[in-house]
Amino acid sequence: MLPTAGLDLSGLTSSSVDSDYAVDGFHHRHTVESGRIVEIARAFCDGGYHLEMMTCEDRRADLEAMRLVYTFGRFDLVDRHLVFVDLVPEIPGAEAPSMTGVFPAADWYEREVYDMYGVRFSGHPDLKRILLPDDADFHALLKDFGRIEDAPEEESGERDEGQGA
Amino acid sequence: MGEVTGNPGEGVMTPVRLPVLLPPKPPVEQEIGPMIRLAVLDDLLNAARANSLWPLTFGLACCAIEMMAAGASKYDLDRFGAGVFRPSPRQADVMIFAGTISKKMVPVIRQLWDQMPSPKWSIAMGGCTIDGGPFKYPNQYAIVEGADKIIPVDVYIPGCPPRPEALIAGILQLQEKIKKSGKGHQA
Amino acid sequence: MNSGVLDTLQRGVEEETYYLNMGPQHPSMHGVLRLLLHMRGEMVLECEPIIGYAHRAHEKMAENRSYIQFLPNTSRIDYLSGMIYNIAFCQAIEKMAGIDVPERAEVIRVIVCELNRIQSHLLWFGTFLLDIGGITPFLYCFDDREEILGILDRVSGSRLTYSYGRFGGVTADIDDVFISQTRSFLDRLRGRLPMYEGLVTKNVIFRDRCKGVGVITVDQARAYGVTGPVLRASGVAYDVRKAEPYGVYDRYDFEIPTRTSGDCLARYEVRVAEMEQSCRIIEQALDALPEGAIEPAKMVKKVKSAAGEYYFAVESARGHFGMYIVSDGTDVASRIKLRTPSFSVMSAAPDVLKGTMIADVIAIVGSVDVVLPEIDR
Repeated sequence: MLPTAGLDLSGLTSSSVDSDYAVDGFHHRHTVESGRIVEIARAFCDGGYHLEMMTCEDRRADLEAMRLVYTFGRFDLVDRHLVFVDLVPEIPGAEAPSMTGVFPAADWYEREVYDMYGVRFSGHPDLKRILLPDDADFHALLKDFGRIEDAPEEESGERDEGQGA
Repeated sequence: MGEVTGNPGEGVMTPVRLPVLLPPKPPVEQEIGPMIRLAVLDDLLNAARANSLWPLTFGLACCAIEMMAAGASKYDLDRFGAGVFRPSPRQADVMIFAGTISKKMVPVIRQLWDQMPSPKWSIAMGGCTIDGGPFKYPNQYAIVEGADKIIPVDVYIPGCPPRPEALIAGILQLQEKIKKSGKGHQA
Repeated sequence: MNSGVLDTLQRGVEEETYYLNMGPQHPSMHGVLRLLLHMRGEMVLECEPIIGYAHRAHEKMAENRSYIQFLPNTSRIDYLSGMIYNIAFCQAIEKMAGIDVPERAEVIRVIVCELNRIQSHLLWFGTFLLDIGGITPFLYCFDDREEILGILDRVSGSRLTYSYGRFGGVTADIDDVFISQTRSFLDRLRGRLPMYEGLVTKNVIFRDRCKGVGVITVDQARAYGVTGPVLRASGVAYDVRKAEPYGVYDRYDFEIPTRTSGDCLARYEVRVAEMEQSCRIIEQALDALPEGAIEPAKMVKKVKSAAGEYYFAVESARGHFGMYIVSDGTDVASRIKLRTPSFSVMSAAPDVLKGTMIADVIAIVGSVDVVLPEIDR
């Protein structure tokens, strides 16, 4: 399937493949250099698409990258594009340009990614925590945070003072 | 730490505890007329407190919907005198924790509780406010596992969410407790 | 007082701005939404929603639990369309793992999801009018809503947070009592909708209160990814049930109600019209209810899927609910991102509420129908 009329991504993506919508719900998959995502966003915006969702994946274990995930969709027809942007696997350190200038929807999504993963976005108007309290000192969805295996042993017995000693 | 029931005979009462309404026609009544009942003033006050509980309009999550349902047409919390939901903590007697308590919410709850005039009571509605409920797992970072870690709780209502009937049962339980001792929690 | 001093005082009053904090405990903030408003007089200069007060770490739990263990979480994400979310998660897993669903189960799913949608809209109807000062409709619509809850309670065992879906079917079959109760409820609701129209829709006070208030344009909606009844009230006929039919929705004949003005009244009208469309879908589904099994012959205990990324979207009562699932081939997801419609709507709030009056903020927030735990997840 060719990209819909009005959308010209030539030269912007590192790789583009068609995907099987019946299996995974995407029509196209793209991989993009982090420096080009604003241009990509502009191309989608001009083509009549909207930012449907944006998130991040902690793929430091297998891909050695923090992977940003964008999906773009349309209201008038079904054409869903999945865009991957792989960043360096260091937290803090991973940084990408902000998409807020093109899609205002990215404002909160990027804040959420910063909150949950610690990825920073350059050019974001007000990059701060959104879901966790402002004084939180962790990024909750990183794979090495909050693992069940690391939990302290559950205290046995009632929740009662007078334990220990 | 809260308890399901109060402690009868705790402190405040006179040695002889009379029921709120005396048995019909005590000897004294035959002398001074049929309209008079005798009772300890504190008991009367407690009966009044118990039967006009004003809850705080304060929903946290799913349980708040069942709290609304309890106040709406089918279950009609007003029948038990507890249907006057007050938007301001300064007018409320009882705080019904209806939903999950996130760590971000804790200072807010503390402040609301401190703003309520005493005597005041609290009801933990639903699994989340008892011990974290369905969101409890080792190393959970987002929620407080139990309302009693923040403020004292009088009545616990299990369920996810509890049905409106369960909330009504909890309120009746609280009324029993108040009738025994109206002290409640002081500020 | 001479006019010079008066002018100075007035200018001082006019230029004075202040911050007003609404929430997280506020009767019209639908739970724990907090709006920080920068005001001049009664006019909102800027609005900053502060969210996260109902953050319950659903997405982290999804990475710590197997797919089937995550199932009870789904109906608690948006507890007003709990059934839709619960079924949607099952459908996403079925698509991912290639599990076949018996036809009867698919049709039952449509019926319970549409009942759930009507229930959600009825609750919105009551609370929206409560927000703008009408108390009576709240009592009427809760009366109707309890009927639906009774029907769903009987079949699923829960009033609000359902775990009715299973990978490959549903937990319990519906019987003749369910069918007759549902049909009599549809009759009842159709008898009551004209009363609602007479009480509210034709009420001149209500219409004047809502007309032209809180207009969301199509461009704004597209910029923020706003979907659902809010988008349809702005004139875009986008409904996931039509755009990407899932389950057996392509069998049923229904319309997508739209309005073009994008204001509070349009959003009201769209939702009321949607209730009638949901009634039509339920009726068609009941008329053509196939016989057969409701679960696959072999129960799915462990989900087997190829590693990769999957996306599945449904139309919840609030709009496009999407699940982005990254599977690493095991029984536990590597990542589940929940794309919730209320999040997108609320992210548009600073833009929409700018320049409105303080009293209209209540009406607008009420009319877009957000569920806070869905925003915060």
